[in-house]
Amino acid sequence: MSSDLMIIVMYLALMFAAGVFFSRNIKNTADYFLAARSAPWFWIMGAVWATNIGFLHGYLAHGGAAYEWGVIQANFEWFQGPFGYVLTGLFFIAFYWRAGIFTVPHFLERRYGSGIRVIYSIAWLIFFIITIAAELYLGGLFLRRLIGLPFWPTVFVLTAVVGTYTLLGGLGAAIMMEFVQFVIMMLGTMPLLFILLNMTGGFEGIKDVLINQWHVSNQYFSVLPDNHHPYGPGPWIIMGQCFVVTIGWCAGHQSMVQRNLGARSLYDSKLGYVVAGVPKTLGAFLYVVPMLAAPIIFAQQGIFVEKADAAYGKLILNLLPAGMLGLFIAGLVSAGLSSISGVLNSSSTMVIKDVYERFLVKGKSDHHYFIAGRIATFGIIVASLLLVPVVARSPLIMWLEQTLLAILLGPFMGILILGIFWRRTNTSGSLIGYLVGSAFAIWYQQIWGQKVFFKISWWSFAVTLVVTVIASLLTKRPKEKKVEGITWESDFHAQVGAITEQRAETNGIQVSSMPDIKIIMPPWYLNLKYWATGILLAQLLLLFFFG
Amino acid sequence: MKKVIILLVVVSLVLSIQTAFAQVGELAFIEARQEFADNLTAVKNAVKANDWLLAQQNFDEAQKSWESDVKPMIVEGRKEEIEKARQAGIENPENEQGKLKEYSDRIGEIEENLNKIALLLQSKKDSEIEPTVNATIWAISHQPRGFDIPQRTYSVWDWVFGLGIGLGFCAFAIIAGLYLRRSYYRRYQRLGL
Repeated sequence: MSSDLMIIVMYLALMFAAGVFFSRNIKNTADYFLAARSAPWFWIMGAVWATNIGFLHGYLAHGGAAYEWGVIQANFEWFQGPFGYVLTGLFFIAFYWRAGIFTVPHFLERRYGSGIRVIYSIAWLIFFIITIAAELYLGGLFLRRLIGLPFWPTVFVLTAVVGTYTLLGGLGAAIMMEFVQFVIMMLGTMPLLFILLNMTGGFEGIKDVLINQWHVSNQYFSVLPDNHHPYGPGPWIIMGQCFVVTIGWCAGHQSMVQRNLGARSLYDSKLGYVVAGVPKTLGAFLYVVPMLAAPIIFAQQGIFVEKADAAYGKLILNLLPAGMLGLFIAGLVSAGLSSISGVLNSSSTMVIKDVYERFLVKGKSDHHYFIAGRIATFGIIVASLLLVPVVARSPLIMWLEQTLLAILLGPFMGILILGIFWRRTNTSGSLIGYLVGSAFAIWYQQIWGQKVFFKISWWSFAVTLVVTVIASLLTKRPKEKKVEGITWESDFHAQVGAITEQRAETNGIQVSSMPDIKIIMPPWYLNLKYWATGILLAQLLLLFFFG
Repeated sequence: MKKVIILLVVVSLVLSIQTAFAQVGELAFIEARQEFADNLTAVKNAVKANDWLLAQQNFDEAQKSWESDVKPMIVEGRKEEIEKARQAGIENPENEQGKLKEYSDRIGEIEENLNKIALLLQSKKDSEIEPTVNATIWAISHQPRGFDIPQRTYSVWDWVFGLGIGLGFCAFAIIAGLYLRRSYYRRYQRLGL
């Protein structure tokens, strides 16, 4: 155990030092909030995935759900890959990038006005702070259960490490650290899969024991179960999850979008997001497939499991030898830290760009907003820390998180799709549609009692879509000038020069000294279309094997 | 506004207190089962070390923990769950899923295993003790809910629904794609690259 502890302490010290090192040369808000728009595609890929995977939305919670319900949990990894990352990378990111924005709410304001921006940013901010608190709580709990570390000191150390490099280095340091953590997560946690498959005779061996000997339902091995499945009915997974939740998550989650806005070019941004579909697909092999073997191991070795959420921790604690356990825990802590840093940086960006600079203190110098960004980061860390004991005790917080998600994803997708693909959508229509869609989501979830989240997302999306269309048609057509440049039918070719100049100015480059734009075709192995097609085909293959 | 805030505070307090009680109950149930499982694991380890006296002592502790803590919690808790289901007007409340149903269904299996372990300890058959102890620990563990759902079935409606989604999406994608392409080029001429 002491060797494991040593590895974890060394890992945290290394993360702290590397984070401080990466945070040099941060001078203005573009550096701090958008990493000086310099990140290549592979950093984006690693950072997007690492931000998405944490204790909460990754190993522990998804691992626990995979133990409880089986292969169906892989939906988050195997459908989010193509439908979330690929479609967002191909269709939505370009609009954000071209609009020269810092945040998703900023885009909504450009398209629809400030009303939606305020509602959307406040909802995400609350969601983000709860997420950070929940990640810290789960991190502390996990390390206490696994290697007996005291809860509060562990939470403070985790906060200090991630808080320091995010506060000092902003998005640039966060992206670089997330890339490092992406590598550690992959290398550190992948061995569990091979150990388990070796112990249980491979996937066929697991199926043989569970289906032939234990007579478990065949739906435990199905990624798309029938329409009567209590956790995720197949058709609703396709409608609610693929078309609404995952795209809404990928296109609307500020911390994921912000990583793409920090790319050095639009192509890097799109490629980074599309290729992130690869680690996302592999994620199921890190924490879903191993959990299929878990019941067999628990039964054979007499390991007590009190509840599904504890299953992942029990598995690694009982299977991994000393030393390897430390490396594995470092991988898991990486997941938590990367998720926290992503959300933390995005929260401060939203506080400064969507609230402070937009409504409270306008027209100050860039340095003023840069310092305010650091203060906001610190404030959010403190707020999240204060929320940790509340998250630990109250399901009200988790209720609030679920409600916010229901409001954020379905209705957001409705107005985003219409906003980009239908020029006729106007401010009044979108605001009415968004509010009615959100109210419907809350009613459907809390009063009607709908438990299947995908159904809530789908129907709130559909209601938003219909109401927005009707309300837009009944009110004035938006001015051409307002929608030009941020809708599908915009003439982007004419805009390339203007956007490049605007970005150059933001980054402090003399426009007159800029070279002429040259169109360079990427090599075949970096071709966006090949990657997108390959990832989509891989999903079809997985569907074929696990359907 | 004041009234709304007061109402929200009261609702939050009521919900928090209810939840706190539920959590305390859940925690006690976990701890009782953990103790039972730990005692059984100690039986297994003592048999491996050929210490039959210690194995018997640990087994007695496990039996005591089962009879005095774990089993009553399951039986009483399940009664409450059934009563709640009955009050909610649910038909056949005994079949209603609850947190304790799985353990209640396995009480017979656990007791049978405990009797078997008692006999095995008396006859000192060490090879059969470990699998029986493991089976007992597994029976008191939380087992996946996905194990018990019915086998996959498709009704005609499911096929219509599924095919409707698939074909509907394909038709939508083609029509929307063609519309967007046409509307773009109607507004802006092709660059001719």
